[in-house]
Amino acid sequence: MPKPQSALPFRVTEFAPSDIERRLEFVNLGPEDRGRIAAVKADVLDNLDEHIAAFFDHLAKFEEARGLTNRAELLEEAKRLKREHLVAMVGGDYGRDYIDQRFRLGQLYSRTALEVSIFMGAFHNLMASVGRRIMSHHSTDALAGFEHFTSLKKVAFFDIAIIVDAMMADREQTIRQQQDAIRELSTPTLQVRDQLLILPIIGLLDTQRAKQLTDSLLRAIRTHRARVVVMDITGVATVDSKVANHLIQTVEAAALMGASVIVTGVSAEVAQSLVTLGINLGRITTLGDLQGGLEEAERILGYTVTQTSEAA
Amino acid sequence: MPVPILKQGEILIASVQAAMTDRDLLQLKDELADKIGRFRSRGVIIDVTALDVMDSFATRTLRGIAATARLRGAQAVVVGVQPDVAIAIVQLGLTLQGVATALDLEEGLELLRRSTMKVDHCDG
Amino acid sequence: MDELRVAVSRDADIVTARQLGRELAAQVGFAGSDLTLIATAISEVARNIISYADNGEILLGLAHKDGLQGVSVIAQDDGPGIPDIDRAMQDGFSTGRSLGLGLPGARRLMDEFEIESELGKGTTVTMRKWCR
Repeated sequence: MPKPQSALPFRVTEFAPSDIERRLEFVNLGPEDRGRIAAVKADVLDNLDEHIAAFFDHLAKFEEARGLTNRAELLEEAKRLKREHLVAMVGGDYGRDYIDQRFRLGQLYSRTALEVSIFMGAFHNLMASVGRRIMSHHSTDALAGFEHFTSLKKVAFFDIAIIVDAMMADREQTIRQQQDAIRELSTPTLQVRDQLLILPIIGLLDTQRAKQLTDSLLRAIRTHRARVVVMDITGVATVDSKVANHLIQTVEAAALMGASVIVTGVSAEVAQSLVTLGINLGRITTLGDLQGGLEEAERILGYTVTQTSEAA
Repeated sequence: MPVPILKQGEILIASVQAAMTDRDLLQLKDELADKIGRFRSRGVIIDVTALDVMDSFATRTLRGIAATARLRGAQAVVVGVQPDVAIAIVQLGLTLQGVATALDLEEGLELLRRSTMKVDHCDG
Repeated sequence: MDELRVAVSRDADIVTARQLGRELAAQVGFAGSDLTLIATAISEVARNIISYADNGEILLGLAHKDGLQGVSVIAQDDGPGIPDIDRAMQDGFSTGRSLGLGLPGARRLMDEFEIESELGKGTTVTMRKWCR
């Protein structure tokens, strides 16, 4: 079992001291609260195992939490961190390190696919466990007990906000990475022959991809000194007016750099839809298939059938 | 800002500088027109490698230079358009239609060589 | 460098404005190709000032919105104003006819574009681009 990464890329740097201040203001944590929290320290620290169990036993009941509960090493780390948290929660120091801890736990939860909703349930169970201890200590003065618990809950909610933010940030990053990976996979590889570039385009061509494509192509033209590009769009999912415009722009930009572009793989349907959309690919040479495009390219470059081209 | 125009046989080569103003570009156009006539040049290469921005004026002027060259029996080739600049020109909706383009000076000379060879074929 | 004012009255000022604009945008962290787009848009609106007004200025500044950073370019002149803004913003431009104002083109290069003009008073073009 791979060791869980503890050196995670934190974005704790996003938490400026002023942010931390502000978050404490959001839960309205004041000096009176701090006093009360100090007073109930024992209720928390003396029963750490009980409170930790409340959290994790609750999780164990749910299939959705298997991502964490089934992985012994991660579970141990989570329990260890949770323990540290509870100690710190009544510690009174809610600064950068405190945030660090919670951020790290949030990321761990995210990586085990623990959803916010389950986390909330388990956290509540933990707080309920703490609350019972506090209330039983104030059996003669329920209101006082409630107020002490309330003060502690302010920090608890402060914690929840950080952990949930961390879980969301982690999820966003994962999504971004996945999108990048998909993009990578569908990035066409340029084939190069002498003064000729062959560019098969596959997949969905959105604006961002099209920009990247144009950029890479132009730089490739410069690097490989290409005079002709054969751009095959057989694999392009849809060719609507946006895509067509991207293609046109790419062709025109390439022309400014001295390269002519032959577009191949324009099916009858695509040709028809372009006509319907009123898009004129007129200035762009389009041919049926890649082979035809290559022959045309070689004609432009001045190769004759008998000439053996040198290896590029 | 005087524009360096080099003569290489029957070809003139003008290198456009980055900070050229509108006036400089127009001056270049006039100088080229003059020199094409004087030296009976067959080709003019305008190297815009140093241009980090080509806007509507620059593009229009280049088209004007090409047209003037044609009138005087020379072919103009614009070389050195940078990728970023090419993208900007296209997005602006501009075009260098009517002007031959090549990647750089070397390709530009090659293009001129090829086209003059073609012309010779026709004659011969 | 937070906000810059560039007087525009001679064609040399066009180059100044766009170079300063490029530098400012570089500070924000725009990619190279975007820097060229911004500089080109500035060139176009600066040229407009020269062509149609005696005097004008370009204000270059940083912009913020919803956590995004960007640049803002405000081109102001005290020229005759644009009689028909809608028509001016139409694309007669791609034909390359010299009467085209650089406006539709500049709009395509930037993310946000607003124009106000009053006959006899002048024109103000405000453009923004966001760094993603």
